[in-house]
Amino acid sequence: MSKQAVQEVALRVALEHAIARKSDEYDQRVREYADRLTGTKLDKTQVRGLETLASTTDKVSDITDWLKLRVGRDSGRERWAKESIGRDLVNELEGLRNDAKKIMQGLGQGEPDLERQVHLRLCREFLKHLAAHFEYLKAEQER
Amino acid sequence: MSELAYLLKRKQNIAAWSDRWQAEAARFADSHRDLLPKRITNAQLYGLGNVVRSARRYADIERFIRHQADKAERAGKLDVQGYWNDLKDALGKLRSEAQALLKTLPLPSGAGNREDLDELHRELAGLYVQHLIAHSLYWTPAQEESRKGEK
Repeated sequence: MSKQAVQEVALRVALEHAIARKSDEYDQRVREYADRLTGTKLDKTQVRGLETLASTTDKVSDITDWLKLRVGRDSGRERWAKESIGRDLVNELEGLRNDAKKIMQGLGQGEPDLERQVHLRLCREFLKHLAAHFEYLKAEQER
Repeated sequence: MSELAYLLKRKQNIAAWSDRWQAEAARFADSHRDLLPKRITNAQLYGLGNVVRSARRYADIERFIRHQADKAERAGKLDVQGYWNDLKDALGKLRSEAQALLKTLPLPSGAGNREDLDELHRELAGLYVQHLIAHSLYWTPAQEESRKGEK
């Protein structure tokens, strides 16, 4: 294996560790969002839909566009537009870019598209936890 | 560059472009906020989205926008005509973005052509419009609520 290939693997491993650490840090914030979501008329399918989109798209903007559209369509303000939950989530996901930036700085990396990809990974982590917490709380609520 | 590597690189570059240009499309929506949702309706925006999704060439998108501008002019809605003309200009300028992106993507055969440029231009316009529609609709409920509060 060439030196460059070894460095590449080392970077990938360090990135995975950094993303995993950040993901764990999101737990409390995610619980708060999940709790607020249970106060809306959203069901599991809609929150899972957001998580599925995040895990399949290659663009952060697809995720925020999806949320913006749903906030915009919720004229009854009972789902994504209720008490600014959708707007707060859009801001939260966009704010994860700063975490991505810090991760890249910590690793001494300046490749712009890698930072974007880390941002996308952090959004996926955040929404994965959100869907899981939401489903758990929903199930508790229905018991 | 193999064809697979080319396709992956193309996809990645377009995704990066889309994420970068989301803010620009949002700025366009914000700068025409006064026309939403009464002068430029949600139905018109959805119509634009449908045309962009089904367009096979960039000219199809431009024809639709020109038609909307002409209709608004005939109805004496000059502010609405201005919106469509501004959008035509904003989307037209994406051709140079498409050209710049193509330069970063040498085709496996080494030959780029006019069809590749048009296809990429159409794709970038579609992404810009996706961001534009999402951001335009985003603020509508809040606007409606504040109007209700004023009554």
